[in-house]
Amino acid sequence: MHDVWKVYPNGVEALRGIDLKIEQGEFVYIVGPSGSGKSTLIKLMYREEVPTHGVVLINGVNVKRVRDWKIPHVRRKIGVVFQDYKLLPNLTAYENVAFAMEAVEAPRRKIKQRVEEVLELVGLTDRMHALPSQLSGGEQQRVSIARAIVNNPTFVIADEPTGNLDPENSWDIMYLLEEINNRGTTVVMATHNKEIVNTMRQRVIAIEQGVIVRDELGGEYGYED
Amino acid sequence: MKIDTLIRHIREAYRGIRKNSWMSFAAIGAVAVTLFIFGIFLIFTFNINFLTKELDKQVAIRVTLKDGLSADEEEKLTETIQKDPLVKTAEFVPKEKGLKDLKEQWGNNNKFLDALQDEDNPLPDMILVQPKDPNKTKELADELAKNTTQIEHVDYGEGVTDRLLRLSSVMRNIVLFFSLGLALLASFLISNTIKLTIIARRREIEIMRLVGASNWFIRWPFFFEGAFIGIIGSIVPIILLITFYFLFYDIVNDGEAYGLFKIMPVDQLSIRIAISTMLIGIAIGSLGSMISVRRFLKI
Repeated sequence: MHDVWKVYPNGVEALRGIDLKIEQGEFVYIVGPSGSGKSTLIKLMYREEVPTHGVVLINGVNVKRVRDWKIPHVRRKIGVVFQDYKLLPNLTAYENVAFAMEAVEAPRRKIKQRVEEVLELVGLTDRMHALPSQLSGGEQQRVSIARAIVNNPTFVIADEPTGNLDPENSWDIMYLLEEINNRGTTVVMATHNKEIVNTMRQRVIAIEQGVIVRDELGGEYGYED
Repeated sequence: MKIDTLIRHIREAYRGIRKNSWMSFAAIGAVAVTLFIFGIFLIFTFNINFLTKELDKQVAIRVTLKDGLSADEEEKLTETIQKDPLVKTAEFVPKEKGLKDLKEQWGNNNKFLDALQDEDNPLPDMILVQPKDPNKTKELADELAKNTTQIEHVDYGEGVTDRLLRLSSVMRNIVLFFSLGLALLASFLISNTIKLTIIARRREIEIMRLVGASNWFIRWPFFFEGAFIGIIGSIVPIILLITFYFLFYDIVNDGEAYGLFKIMPVDQLSIRIAISTMLIGIAIGSLGSMISVRRFLKI
């Protein structure tokens, strides 16, 4: 990202000149108080928003210049995990994960194989035919992580993935994200969880009022909740 | 598109219709009414075209010859007319044949005609002329009438054809106007129905977009849903239209012996009506659904 500004139509300046480069295979925390521009930054990364000014390159592609019909192809290289999981309530865990592959029209045999593989990685093989309502929050979040990585993205964006979870489940999710990162996938995670940031030391980018105030490797959370 | 994907889209479309069964029912009803009126318009158009062709075939000039021409003169005259560049065929009809044709047309039990024997045949000899171009009938007739020494008078279906065509094109435009209005209304109803399914599946669409489903992947189920509504909505009008036409045909057919009117046979018309009505139904349905998906597919 180079000199990125984002001004919403209502006049709010969410980002005011962000310069940021995340290398392939990195693990990055994005921290900052509510309303600091964290979410906007994340949305720019998966092309939900377009910068008002400046350049955002994803895998070397300028997202502002991508033609509308090619945007889906950009998104296929990105896995997204949300605080509220965003699972389809009437589909089982297996179907929720398979859905992401059906949507990109993967062959059926490959879907079955890959979905089972991913569910095993997140440790839900025995729960794969349960509906989201029958799963705990931690399990649901693991399903959503499985869905995020099933199409082999080059990077995973997690927007407060532990926001709704108790500490124990939060750690499970973090180990999982670490495991995914160890396999070479870039992980970008927005979080409010001080304990996690301070324990699992990674690069920390702090944002306040739309500008980066701190960017350090192995940094601390640095805020009092 | 892959078969798996196609099956998925169709299944999704079916689910969409089931989920909002009341709105779907309303949309199907709207399509049915529209198609019924459209169908009447189509029947009309098909028959106008059919009739025009039939009339073109029948257009003939009856050249009534003066009494007392010799067989030789009559033959020569026929040949001369035949050579005219505007003429397709010229056929000499002696009065004996004329009487025979008349008797056949009016039935065998007509006592008045039966009483007429060849000796007191009141009919004149005639030459039936078929023009090459039906539009030049008048021109040709006027030209033939100039030969007043041998020709008593010249007849052709003056104005009848013209008036019929002009009247029908006015009626055709009126029906078309109403049909288009109704088609818009039906599209609007369908787009509202589909909007409900879209709202019900908002989350699904959001997730599809996030995992990188192409826009067409998201659109297809709604496209099919609209098309299904169109197809289902076309069934009842097709049945009604064909049934009514069948009854109508029987009535008109009774008068056909007089040779005045000929309408398109039921089998020919049924196929055309069924195919075109269904296609229009699909078009209205999918158009309606595309309109409503557009608004929800922000990139």
